[in-house]
Amino acid sequence: MHMADALLNPAVAGTMYVATASAAAYSIRKVKMESDPKKIPVMGVMGAFVFATQMLNFTIPGTGSSGHLCGGMMLSALLGPEAGFLTMIGVLLVQCLMFADGGLLALGANIWNMAFFGCFIGSLLIWKPIMKNGASKTKIAVATILGCVLTLQMGAFSVVLETLASGITELPFNIFVATMQPIHLAIGAVEGLITSAVLIFIYEARPEMLWGVGRNVNVSSTKMRDENSDVSSSKAAEKNGRLSFKKTLAVLAVVAAVAAGVISLYASSHPDGLEWSMEQVAGTSELEATGEAYEVADNIQSTTSILPDYAFKNSDSALGTTTSGLVGGLVVVVVCVGVSMIFKFFRNGKKEV
Amino acid sequence: MSNIDNSLKEIGKLNDLQQRNQWLNNIHPLVKLLLTVIYILLVVSVDKYNLGQMLVLAIYPFMVFNIGDLRLKEAIYRMRLILPLVMMVGMFNPIFDSSIEAGIISMVTLMLKGIYTVMVAYALIATTSIEAICYALRQIYIPQILVVVILLIYRYIFIMGQEADRIMTAYKLRAPAQKGINYKAWGSLIGQWLIRSMDRAESVYESMQLRGFRGEYAYASKAKIRLADILYLIIWIGVFAVLRFTDIVDVIGGLFI
Amino acid sequence: MKTGIEKHLLHIENLSYEYERLELVLKNISIDVYQGETVGLIGNNGVGKSTLLKLLVGLLLDYEGTLEVVNHPMVKENVNHIREHIGYVFQDSDNQLFMTTVEEDVAFGPRNYGLSNEEVEKRVTKALELTYIEKLRDKHVYKLSGGEKKLASIATILSMEPDIILMDEPSVALDPKNRRNLINLLNDLEQTKIIASHDLDFVYDTCDRVLLLYEGEIVADGSAKDILQNKELLEDNGLELPLRFQG
Repeated sequence: MHMADALLNPAVAGTMYVATASAAAYSIRKVKMESDPKKIPVMGVMGAFVFATQMLNFTIPGTGSSGHLCGGMMLSALLGPEAGFLTMIGVLLVQCLMFADGGLLALGANIWNMAFFGCFIGSLLIWKPIMKNGASKTKIAVATILGCVLTLQMGAFSVVLETLASGITELPFNIFVATMQPIHLAIGAVEGLITSAVLIFIYEARPEMLWGVGRNVNVSSTKMRDENSDVSSSKAAEKNGRLSFKKTLAVLAVVAAVAAGVISLYASSHPDGLEWSMEQVAGTSELEATGEAYEVADNIQSTTSILPDYAFKNSDSALGTTTSGLVGGLVVVVVCVGVSMIFKFFRNGKKEV
Repeated sequence: MSNIDNSLKEIGKLNDLQQRNQWLNNIHPLVKLLLTVIYILLVVSVDKYNLGQMLVLAIYPFMVFNIGDLRLKEAIYRMRLILPLVMMVGMFNPIFDSSIEAGIISMVTLMLKGIYTVMVAYALIATTSIEAICYALRQIYIPQILVVVILLIYRYIFIMGQEADRIMTAYKLRAPAQKGINYKAWGSLIGQWLIRSMDRAESVYESMQLRGFRGEYAYASKAKIRLADILYLIIWIGVFAVLRFTDIVDVIGGLFI
Repeated sequence: MKTGIEKHLLHIENLSYEYERLELVLKNISIDVYQGETVGLIGNNGVGKSTLLKLLVGLLLDYEGTLEVVNHPMVKENVNHIREHIGYVFQDSDNQLFMTTVEEDVAFGPRNYGLSNEEVEKRVTKALELTYIEKLRDKHVYKLSGGEKKLASIATILSMEPDIILMDEPSVALDPKNRRNLINLLNDLEQTKIIASHDLDFVYDTCDRVLLLYEGEIVADGSAKDILQNKELLEDNGLELPLRFQG
């Protein structure tokens, strides 16, 4: 889901940087207020851990494909949303630099799409309320899978919005959405399953490591580090959630499938409805002002583009006038090649001396 | 697992490139970072039908690859992650744009944007170490905590990557027929590794504490801005300005038509 | 050797420690360590060696009994001061070395003590010279071999110029050559050292005094020669004679 630099225009990329920077500034203030110096090494090492887990492939039962772990959701379940968010910024920056996974300009957007939703929405709106009265296997599964699916949907949707607002693609909104959302529904479900399996293991082995878990009678201290607590915890789970682990998974699967169907239907037959939802999600006044999403996007593009365009908006005339531009471009490229060959010649000469 | 091995090799290769004593490697990290960002901004702000200008903008990546003695092959390899989405988005331009020609032009422009931006980002990281970039970030007042977390992630990714490799090897030796990790082992395998990593973090914290760490991270940047750095920055900004704000391309093209 | 006028750097009397108030890890330990001594702390895994080391640097605090380091009682207020005099070399060098380059890591401690850049520079150079790794100065930590990492770890401690150096299993994962280098290095360092290890040959080569720990208690305290050749004593406490004495 990493955005590329090429898919954004400077205005959108800048906006996303500002949004991300505000969230980061808030998080830094929060983490500083906690004044727990231990958080720093923990954030660094866990960031490297998340980075490394992205290299592992998890086989998805019944399919030949594989999935990964959801870093944002996992980090915030361990470190809290703020520290988790800052750690994800580090992970995404290093990924972007080391593996060209997402671009430098798109980093702001990528942090927002993946880390912000995963850490803040996932942990504050889903994880924390569910864990308010203590954790259980079922609750962890529900919170993690729901969190991953939902935050990935939001992330995918913002990829669509950011791309369209950048005026990069001619792809109609409904088709774009109908492609992105179902794909990420599947990815979200898989990431959710993997992440919940890990968090459940942590809950059984070291429950004190989980963030945001309220006090509960079922989480007794004697259970800590007790390997044979399977029976007691599943009983506790049934008491808490009144649902068995497998049933919950089945229910979630059905919910996910229905949601996928609804979204694709919506996307293909109700473009107006989607524009409405776009306004709801984006919540910007510009978007509310007009109905046609694409037109708005194009307007934003032309009014906010940091540098004036000398090419033509109208594609037909654009074709005509860029002929000399094209030739000129090619000439410059040829000159470039020549210059660099000379450069190489001199360097090789120097090496021989 | 070859996947992990490849990633580790890629990190190692980048590190070797960063350690070279090339002219471009010795340019101040802040200058390289700034130029990269400015160039990317320039590229993405080009109109989607302005193919001529896109072609000319190849100057910068091209020259930087030459000055830095970098391999184009490596940069192309790095595009595998980001280009699919760009392609998916651009692929439909010929269909949905006002005419097929316009669509093809906008598609090619988009592809070039994708290629250039990956190239210059690669040129940056292949000539500048992460810690140098971190010092540059500190110089532009990126908060310390963020920079320190990045440095720590960078320090431990190799160790964690090797651990991941060991885990996968041990797993594969006992489950040779499986392609990835079976779902039954997801929790325990990764969970145990996570707990070990937490213990490592604890230990790292102890090591920091014992050496006087109280929450403020002390480090000093050695790189000083030299005249060559400033000249390099100014020359490129000048070139960018000429390419972007004049129709020099059209003029040159006109000479040949 | 001990004349009584020597200054003791460590004074431990009736020290006990319970892990999470559940399990007694150390029971009534009394030790005095004098300046210039190299003390081997031997015993099997889990006898409390690491716990004792952690107590000595104040990573664990809620002990019972008397614990004084460089004449300061180990209490929360004194921890920072005491740590300026006592360095700890971790078993896993990757946990000890958290900066990206060797130089940065060796400079971390002195910088935290607010020393000037010149002073930091001087100390880093000296520490690297003492450990014979000047050439590794700019190297990335992840590229070092196990032996080099161990030397770099020791350099990060030496740059803080401590009076006492604690080492947790220093010989683990070292090849014979690096092991030999480390032995020579430790024998050259003038600081007081406490080396926790179950590598008895290593202890024999580096220590003049040995403390034998078994189930949280000190069962023997004496010269390395006496204790490490006492087959019965070692075997009673779950250890074996150093290889060189096994004939």
